[in-house]
Amino acid sequence: MATTEPDRTGEDGHEWERVLWRLQPFPDNYVPPTFLAGLSKNPNVLPYRCWPLMLGACTISQHLSVIFVFLAVFTHLLNHTLDPRLLVVLSSATFVVGCIIWETMEHFGRDAAGNAPSDRRARTVKASLLIFLALIALAPILRTLTAPTSADSISALTTALFLVHAALADYSYYAASPVRRERLTSVLSINAAISAAVVLASRLHDDLAVFGLMLFSVEAFALFPIFRRRIQSMPAPVQTLVTLLLGLAALAAPLPILCAAVLISVTFGAPAVLMWAQQYKYEIRGPWDAATPRGFERVESG
Amino acid sequence: MISDFFHPEVGGVENHIYMLGASLIRRGHKVIVITHSHPPDRVGVRWLVPGLKVYHIPFPTLVSSATLPNFLTFLPYFRTIVLRERITLIHSHASLSSLGHEGILHAHLLGVRTVFTDHSLFGFDDAASILTNKLLEGMLRNVDAAICVSYIGRENTVLRANLPPKSVYVIPNAIVADNFRPAHSRPHTDTITIIVISRLAYRKGVDLLVATAPRICAAFPDVRFVVGGDGPKMADLLQMRETHFLQDRITVLGPVVHRDVPSVLRQGSIFLNTSLTEAFGIAILEAACAGLHVVSTRVGGVPEILPEDMISFAAPTADDVFRAMSEAIALVAQGGHDPHRAHQRIRGFYDWTRVAERTEVVYRNVLATPPYSLWTRIERTMGLGPFVGPIYTVILIVDCLFFALLERWMPRENIDYVDVKWDATRFETVGFL
Repeated sequence: MATTEPDRTGEDGHEWERVLWRLQPFPDNYVPPTFLAGLSKNPNVLPYRCWPLMLGACTISQHLSVIFVFLAVFTHLLNHTLDPRLLVVLSSATFVVGCIIWETMEHFGRDAAGNAPSDRRARTVKASLLIFLALIALAPILRTLTAPTSADSISALTTALFLVHAALADYSYYAASPVRRERLTSVLSINAAISAAVVLASRLHDDLAVFGLMLFSVEAFALFPIFRRRIQSMPAPVQTLVTLLLGLAALAAPLPILCAAVLISVTFGAPAVLMWAQQYKYEIRGPWDAATPRGFERVESG
Repeated sequence: MISDFFHPEVGGVENHIYMLGASLIRRGHKVIVITHSHPPDRVGVRWLVPGLKVYHIPFPTLVSSATLPNFLTFLPYFRTIVLRERITLIHSHASLSSLGHEGILHAHLLGVRTVFTDHSLFGFDDAASILTNKLLEGMLRNVDAAICVSYIGRENTVLRANLPPKSVYVIPNAIVADNFRPAHSRPHTDTITIIVISRLAYRKGVDLLVATAPRICAAFPDVRFVVGGDGPKMADLLQMRETHFLQDRITVLGPVVHRDVPSVLRQGSIFLNTSLTEAFGIAILEAACAGLHVVSTRVGGVPEILPEDMISFAAPTADDVFRAMSEAIALVAQGGHDPHRAHQRIRGFYDWTRVAERTEVVYRNVLATPPYSLWTRIERTMGLGPFVGPIYTVILIVDCLFFALLERWMPRENIDYVDVKWDATRFETVGFL
């Protein structure tokens, strides 16, 4: 059996063919010249570009900055260096200003938006009043919630909850689609942040401070992510400006150097690492991959 | 032959092992099969019809009939079986069979050579593939030769397991042509029946079938479908049939036993395969052998198995499947496809005896080359990678120590050797066959 000598063509000058149904005058382990011709490396890899990556990282920086700002507010409240009344007034003002900005963007974004904006506004006002009153009513209970718990348990729990919040948050970008299903992880993320806020608020000394902090937490963790996603569709200078402002505000947090280090590494370090790691990208595609059926709408099963 | 996948399970690998074993026995070899047991009734040692001895190892199965990869526990059984049956070569099947991998790992301890057959295609981009590919690379590091069922499978295996292409052979599957004879009378030309027999799963392209079947039914009033098989996408199929009011045009058979496949195939004149990936496509071959014109998506090894005039190809899009089906229906309606001629051609292409001959060549080549020494094995295993290399080397060395322990614990003199050979001719003279 001619199994070892690699002849280019068979005995009668046959060209090798990639067919199984005909017995060919080649040994079964013959390596044809077209071997692995269908292999393609990194066919659909788009190399990351520096600016879009950093712009994307801005979203995460904004999110982390908000956590740091929240921590800063808490520390100042705890040390009585911030008047709770000022915080309540500022929070309310921010909310009103935020609403106005939102409405303006809505107005300029798409003029012909249906679903009766006045109706939606009424619902928003009702919901915000409800939350406002509920928080006032709950403040005395929250203040004494964790009285018997030691301070280090509280810091550990808060740290864990904020890490969960930052890890599970929905950083994805969406182009102003009105119908949007909230993902489970982003709901969990908001829950973790609000729990952390409750735990921290319970260490404060008077009811008004507790109320102020909770009001601020609702704004920072429930409303800001919605606003942030809207910012993502804005031009790059606006995003950079917002990130810069929030980053500067974050420096008021208890450990400013650490906060700055985290923010800088997220904004500049992480994209740089990703750019550097791109050289190791090695994606193999070939005719053995499962084909993707196209040309029809997928039928929803079940 | 070692594999987790064997009778009484049914499937391509199971059938391949049985047919190859039977053909090798006919050529005068002694073949035994080692697989895991199927309690309560399929345990111990059994004989299958042409004198194929099957050892069932009492290992529990993990998922879909594969045993847990535990690297060492098979060795006591393996050593005893290989010694008492005086085995010279083991042939392991299927890349997800850990029993087969273990056989390759242990074989060198007994001076037995190894051949591995891969039956499927894997991707490179999901976590499960990466893990199983690494496992395969580690296990096939010291295999003597590998066999794939198609050229595409060979390219895939060479990449996955990092094997030298020269040590990988291509030997296609075969079919028993006698089981797939076309119907004697030509089917009525006024209605054309399209047969689909497939597991109704995403990878088999059921979405394409669901998208194109109503269009074909609307365009050709004298066409009907017969769909055999079951699976997670069954609901989609039934839903499509109801939304388009095609209950009288599309017959859904549900699960079809392999024994009944020929009779289902004989009802039709066109076979539609919409798979998204296929290493070989034995179902296509069976259909072509039963005299059907085949329409298939151009994926995997399908373009290799039939000459262009027996099969119509389509890209995996609904529009193109519809186009290919329209052409095939026109061809069959004009009587441009002769089932009996197709059957005769397939009969000439694929034959188990030829597969056995070609496999024999692989065995001879393997037995003619010198085996790796233990030190070479260790060096090659270390070359797997900075993390995997040492892990597999530790496994290799522990395996050797375990073997040394077994040599002391169960000495070779105490093993009950099998010296009586199954003699088919004598069996015949006694009158049983």
